[in-house]
Amino acid sequence: MPTPHQERHFFEIRKPVSRPQAILSAIGIWAVFFGVWSLAAHSGWVNALLVPPPEQVFSTTWDFFAERGFASDVLISITRVLVSFAMACAVAIPLGVMMGTFPSVEAIFNPFIGAWRYLPAPSFIPILLMWFGTGEAPKLALLFIGVVFFLITLIMDHTKNVRKELIETALTLGASRRVTVTQVVLPAVLPDIFTAMRQMLAMAWTYLVIAEIVASTTGIGAMMMRARRFLKTDEILSGIIVIGALGLTFDLLFGLLHRWLFPYRKETR
Amino acid sequence: MSEALLHLDGISKVFPVAGGKSVKAVDRVSFEVEENRICVLLGPSGCGKSTVLRMIAGLEDPSDGAVTLHGKPVVGPARDRGMVFQAYTSFDWLSVRRNVEFGMKVNGVPRTERRARAAHFIELVGLTKFADAYPSQLSGGMRQRVAIARTLANGPELLLMDEPFGALDAETRWHMQEMMIDIAWQENTTMVIVTHDIEEAIFLADKIIFLSSHPGRLKEVIVPEFKHGNRINDKEHIVQLPGYAEMEQKIMRLMREEGARE
Repeated sequence: MPTPHQERHFFEIRKPVSRPQAILSAIGIWAVFFGVWSLAAHSGWVNALLVPPPEQVFSTTWDFFAERGFASDVLISITRVLVSFAMACAVAIPLGVMMGTFPSVEAIFNPFIGAWRYLPAPSFIPILLMWFGTGEAPKLALLFIGVVFFLITLIMDHTKNVRKELIETALTLGASRRVTVTQVVLPAVLPDIFTAMRQMLAMAWTYLVIAEIVASTTGIGAMMMRARRFLKTDEILSGIIVIGALGLTFDLLFGLLHRWLFPYRKETR
Repeated sequence: MSEALLHLDGISKVFPVAGGKSVKAVDRVSFEVEENRICVLLGPSGCGKSTVLRMIAGLEDPSDGAVTLHGKPVVGPARDRGMVFQAYTSFDWLSVRRNVEFGMKVNGVPRTERRARAAHFIELVGLTKFADAYPSQLSGGMRQRVAIARTLANGPELLLMDEPFGALDAETRWHMQEMMIDIAWQENTTMVIVTHDIEEAIFLADKIIFLSSHPGRLKEVIVPEFKHGNRINDKEHIVQLPGYAEMEQKIMRLMREEGARE
């Protein structure tokens, strides 16, 4: 008698899909997306001026880099994100770890940071422009404000989750409080700090685009606003693609860095 | 009998609870631990045995009474009282070797001496083959061995263990218990071990401090006389000794009386 098998349905509750099915599904959804887009643009359902076909957008994107020196705009945008993000981390990592370790430090800063966190960063744009003029400073400041308070809170929470027994082990081995923080708490929380940074870097890209659209003549966002003036929808869409690709690239890089720096985390059961 | 290393003199611990009230977890407990002996703190849940151990470690301050080591009062955690916890405490970012070296490193032991001592204690707990592995690659029992080696390598006067084998499966637990007997022999270690496992207590103990619950009070000091001062590192052997079964029954009765009081 053959072994009876349960029939497999498409809607299986919490059963992992096979690799071919996963790949096919991923390709499928994108194919549908580009298919609908292409069809809409070519069939004349929509105004071709507002929705250029995908191939035009891709050739414009290529053109930007090859012919029109778009790379310098992209580089400016990347620099803005990285510089402001580095500044935010330089403040948030030590402060977040201190707040998560010492309730006395948390008692000072948490009531302050908790309030700032709920102020939308873009509401600072007018005043930042008045304070810092039109140079790089207001953009960096916006990105910094948008990221730093959340990053501090996330890092504080992760630090609080470092198990008490690890700290007590260090103390009973004779480690001083300073050594316990630098050699036990910090390395224990570092992988989670990286995860928090990865999440907040995505937010930094969001604020970058806001800053460049509202108050900049350089960078990807500014290019998109220029394109709007000349009804170049293909250029606007190219900008979106480039920003998306950059965000994705940085996220992947962070993922690789995480795996490279914390190999022991992979094997955790 | 050898001279007492550790004295607990009427220690109590009161914890504040919600609503401005307080609860007495430990009530005037006194006992002593002799050098090179294994002392087991045993009792039902809620008897404050872990709190007593934490006060010896200096991780909690007694509300009343004093703990003295070599006649000097204990204030805060320090290198002379190493602690092994029930939860895994291996530092995941360090290899086994570096875990074992950690205490010596922060205490400024020179590198060559550190290496040699670490190798000795890794060997003692049977992890030489895994010296360069990371804790996440090890089983639960192996991780506890890392914790034991790390604490011993730091050269404490006293090894404190809080239900160290509680999270392990039965077979691993025997091996670990037998290993602890061997270590106590070879390294002349003084230990205070907290457990709620009667078999484990009888197997390991030179002396059992039995605590009653709510609040934790000293109920009885039990010396397993049937061992005649010998340590037996073989579980099958010890259960066959005359006197073992009686002692087990006696402690079970004590446990049951305590349970009935709740």
